[in-house]
Amino acid sequence: MKQRLELKLNGEMREVFVEPWRTLAEVLRDELGLLGTKVSCGTGDCGACNVLLEGKVVSSCLVLAPQAQGREILTIEGLATPEGLHPLQEAFIEHFAVQCGYCIPGMIITAKACLDENPDATEDEVRLAMSGNLCRCTGYVKVTEAIMAAKEKMKKSVSGTGYGKGR
Amino acid sequence: MAEYKVLGKSVTRLDALEKVTGKARFCSDMSLPGMLYAKILRSPYAHARILSINTSKAERLPGVRVVLTGKDVLEKRYGLFVFDQYILAKDVVRYAGEGVAALAADSLDIAEKAIELIEVKYEELPAIFDPEEAFKQNPAAVVHPDLLSYQLGLFLTPQPVAERPNVAHHYKIRHGDVEQGFKEADLVLEGRFSLARIHHIEAEPHTWIAQRQPDGGITVWVGQQGIHLLKQYYTGIFGIPPSKIKVVAPSNVGGSFGGKVGLTADPIVISLALKTDRPVKYSFTREEMFKCGGTRIPAVIYIKDGVRRDGTLVAREMRLLFNIGAYSSLGILGVRNSNFGTMGSYRTPNLKVDSYGIYTNTSSALAFRGFGSNEVTWAIESHMDMLAEKLGIDPAQIRMKNFLKEGEPNPQGEIVHSIGAEECLKEVTKTVEWGKTPVKAEGLWRKGRGLAVANKYSMAPTAAVALVRILEDGSIELRHSADEVGQGAKTVLSQIAAEEFGLSIDRVRIVAADTDATPYFPASSSSRTTFQLGKTIYLACQDAKKQLFELAAPRLGVLPEDLETADGEVYIKSSPARSIRVKELFIVERPTSPQAFGAFLEERGEIVGRGVWNQPFVYENLKTGEIDPEAARKGLRAASFYSYAAQVTELAVNVETGEVKIEKVATAGDMGFPVNPKMCQQQMEGALGMGIGIALWEEMIMDEGRVLNPNLRDYLVTTFQDMPANQNVTLLMAPVPHKDNPYGAKGIAEVLVPPIAPSIANAIYDAVGVRITDLPITREKILKALKEKKR
Ligand code: FES
Ligand code: FES
Repeated sequence: MKQRLELKLNGEMREVFVEPWRTLAEVLRDELGLLGTKVSCGTGDCGACNVLLEGKVVSSCLVLAPQAQGREILTIEGLATPEGLHPLQEAFIEHFAVQCGYCIPGMIITAKACLDENPDATEDEVRLAMSGNLCRCTGYVKVTEAIMAAKEKMKKSVSGTGYGKGR
Repeated sequence: MAEYKVLGKSVTRLDALEKVTGKARFCSDMSLPGMLYAKILRSPYAHARILSINTSKAERLPGVRVVLTGKDVLEKRYGLFVFDQYILAKDVVRYAGEGVAALAADSLDIAEKAIELIEVKYEELPAIFDPEEAFKQNPAAVVHPDLLSYQLGLFLTPQPVAERPNVAHHYKIRHGDVEQGFKEADLVLEGRFSLARIHHIEAEPHTWIAQRQPDGGITVWVGQQGIHLLKQYYTGIFGIPPSKIKVVAPSNVGGSFGGKVGLTADPIVISLALKTDRPVKYSFTREEMFKCGGTRIPAVIYIKDGVRRDGTLVAREMRLLFNIGAYSSLGILGVRNSNFGTMGSYRTPNLKVDSYGIYTNTSSALAFRGFGSNEVTWAIESHMDMLAEKLGIDPAQIRMKNFLKEGEPNPQGEIVHSIGAEECLKEVTKTVEWGKTPVKAEGLWRKGRGLAVANKYSMAPTAAVALVRILEDGSIELRHSADEVGQGAKTVLSQIAAEEFGLSIDRVRIVAADTDATPYFPASSSSRTTFQLGKTIYLACQDAKKQLFELAAPRLGVLPEDLETADGEVYIKSSPARSIRVKELFIVERPTSPQAFGAFLEERGEIVGRGVWNQPFVYENLKTGEIDPEAARKGLRAASFYSYAAQVTELAVNVETGEVKIEKVATAGDMGFPVNPKMCQQQMEGALGMGIGIALWEEMIMDEGRVLNPNLRDYLVTTFQDMPANQNVTLLMAPVPHKDNPYGAKGIAEVLVPPIAPSIANAIYDAVGVRITDLPITREKILKALKEKKR
C-alpha cells in the first residue's frame, strides 16, 4: 500500500506516494530523481548516502521514508545556491579532494553538519566527525584539507555558517 | 626540461565540479525505458554437486520475465586464459557464491522475491581452501579434475602441472645458477611470508545494463574498465561478431583498483538480455562484492637469499603460491606479473622463481592495484631488512648497494631504462634524515621507523589508438577509450591535447569509452593510461596539426612547416602577427547566409588526427623467463615500463594492546614526469589510505570457503582517524623520464601500494623487535609475538 509523504526537500515541498518500507535513499533516487545521493553499502556502514534530516546527518539507506514525513531534508543537490557553490564544494574542487567521486556527496553533506555544529573544529575533531564516511580513493588527506579550508572561508563569510540552511 | 603551459601544472580536475554538486552520473544511476532487474542465486556451498534445480515457482511469479540455470546457458566453458568456467554452474559448484540460477523481472522487488522461490538440492563434496594443501601432489580435493582437457587461451599460454592437479599455471625464472650463488654467499637466509584475502572495496558496486539489439547484436553499459577488452571477451564467449557489440562505460566509474577489470557477472547479465527485448540491469550488492566480486590473490611466498658480507645480493630463490580461487580468471596474469616484481629493482645475478597459480574452492581473484608486485614486495622488502640486520648494515644502504642502474640488463635481460628506485629512496631518506634522528620512546607506546622500496611493471604487449578532431570553433575533441575510474584520465589526457594545441583546457572536449565512437585501448589498467594513451594523443595531435597547417598554408602564403597554432589561431612562426583563425577555415560561404547549414571544411570535410602506438615487444622464454639478448640489445622488452616508489613510515606500537598508530610518512614516487602534480599526490595519498589498511587490518575472514565478514562493518578499511595528521604526510616526486613517452611520463597509481606494508612491518620490528610475516599485522599477531619474544 502506497502512502502519501510530504517532504521539505532542499527547500521545496515535495509530495510522493511510496510503500512505507522504502528507505529514504530509494525514494530520493528512484522516485524523486535525486541521483546525487549514492548507495555504496546499503547497511549504514559507509556514509555515501548521508543526507541532513532537520540539520542532522542520517544515513538515508537506513532511514525509512515515512520517518522523514513533513521534515526538512538537505541533499547534495540542495547545497549550492543560485549565487554559487557552497564553500565546501569550492574547497573540495580547489584542494583536489575528489577522485572517483562516489563517496563525495556523502562526504560534503557530513562535513557541512560537522562545521555547522562546530564552526571552529580542529583537524582532529573533523576527523572524528567524518570517521563514518569511507573513501577508498583519497586517503582522506585532501578531503581533510578541503574541510579545514572551507571552515576558514565559512567563518570569514558575511552570512556566517548559514550556508544551505533552509534550502 | 621543456617549458610547458599546461603540462606539469596542477590543473583543476575536469570532473570535480560535477562530482561535488551530485551531478556526476555513474552506471548505477542509469535506467532505460522498460528496464528489467536481474538477480542471481548463488551457491551456499564451496564445493557441491547440484542434484536438482526447480525454478517453476519463480517462473510463475507475475512480473518474472526470464529465468536461467546452467542448462539454459551456452554449452561451452569460457575463461580469460584457461577456459574453466560455465556462465552458470552446470552439475558442480566450486565456490560459495558461484551463480547457479539467474532471473530478470519487472522490478527489483519481484526479482528478489522470485530468486528465493528457486529450489536447489546439493550434495556437498570435499573441498579445499588452503593453497599449500591444494598444491600437494595428492590433494584432498581437486577443483577441476578435467583441467588437462580444458581449452587454453592463446595469450600467456597457461602451463598446468600434470602431477599437481590443482595447479593452473606454473611460471618460472631461471637466471644464472642459484645453487652456485648460495655457495658464494657469506649469509644465506630463508623466510616464509603470506598475504590475506582482501577485497578492493570499490565505492560503486559493479553494475551492468545489457540490451539485445534488433540486428542480433548487444549493447552493454558497464561500470567497469576496459571496454575494448570486454567487447573482445563478449565476442569470444557469445560468438556475436565484434561489429555488433557495443560496450560503453558511462562517464564515471566509482573506483576500480583492478576489481573492475576482467569478467565477473557479465556473461550472466548478457545471457539474460539475449532472451528478452528489454534492457536488463544488474548490480552487485555489497555482500556480493565480497563473495564473488573478485579479491586480491592471497599468497604464500618462500624466499631464500644469499648475500655477501657487504650486502651484495648474489642469489635469490622464490616460490610463490597464489591462491587464485575456483576459476582462474585474471589469476593467471597475476602469476606472471609477480615475476616482473622480482626483477625490477635489484641486481640479482642468480635468480630462480617458481610461481604457481593454484585452484581452491574459493572465489576468483582479480587484478588488484599493484598486481603481482604487492605479493613479492611484501616478502622481498621485509627480507632486505632482515638481511641488513644480520649483516649489521643500514637498511637504506643494503638497498642502495643492489639497485639496478640505467643501461645494465635486469635478470630478465631487459636493458634497464628509467629506473627511479634510487631516486625515490634518496628522496625519502633525505626528508626524514634517515640514520640521523632515530625515533625511540620507552613506555607503553614504542616508536619505530621502517622503509621499503617497490617497482611495478606495466604490462606488455600493449597498444593504443587515439583520435583528435578539430571542431569548427577551433576547439579540440579527443576520442579515446580510457574509462574514468577516479584516476583522473579525463584531466591528464586533456592537458596533453591543450598543450599541443596551445589551448586552454576548457576548449578540449572529450568523447570517451564507447566502442562505437572511441578507438582501441585495452583498458586504463596496469598504470598505462598516461604513458601510453598520453603518447598516442600526442601523436594524434601532431597528425591533426599537420593537416590543419596544410589547409592554412595556402591561405597565409607559406609552407605548412612554417606554421604553429595557439588559442584557436594558426600563425606563422617567424611572424606570429600573421595568422588565420581556425574557425575561418571552416566557413563555407553561401550566397545568402554564411554557416546557415552548419560548418565543414570544403577540402577534407573535417580534420581527424590519428595516433597509434603498438609497443615493440618480445615474449620471454617460458623456460627461463629471459628475453633474447639480441632483441634486448635492440631495445625490445617484455614489459612496458617500470615505475618506482619508496616509503618511510614512523609509527608507535602499544606494547599492551598491540595497537599500531601510524604517525608520520614520507612517500616518493617515480612517475617519469608529473603531468599534474596534485593528481600524482592524490594517487600517493589514496595508496597510503589503502596501504595502511592492507598492512594492519584488512582481511576477508573465511570459514569453509564462506566469507564471514562480507560488509563494511566487519571488514575494516582505513578511516579518517586511522591516518596520520596531514602535516605528517610528506609526498615527494622523484621523476626519472622514460624515452617512449613524449613528456617522459609513466604511470604511478599502482606502485605506491606495495612498499607500504613492508615499511610498516619494518617499522614495527624497529619499535618492538617482532617480525610479523603474515599480512595483515593485527594486534593479536603483535601481542602473540611480543609474548613469545619475552619467553
Ligand atoms: S550506503 Fe548508506 S551508509 Fe553506506
Ligand atoms: S573519491 Fe572514490 S571513494 Fe571517495
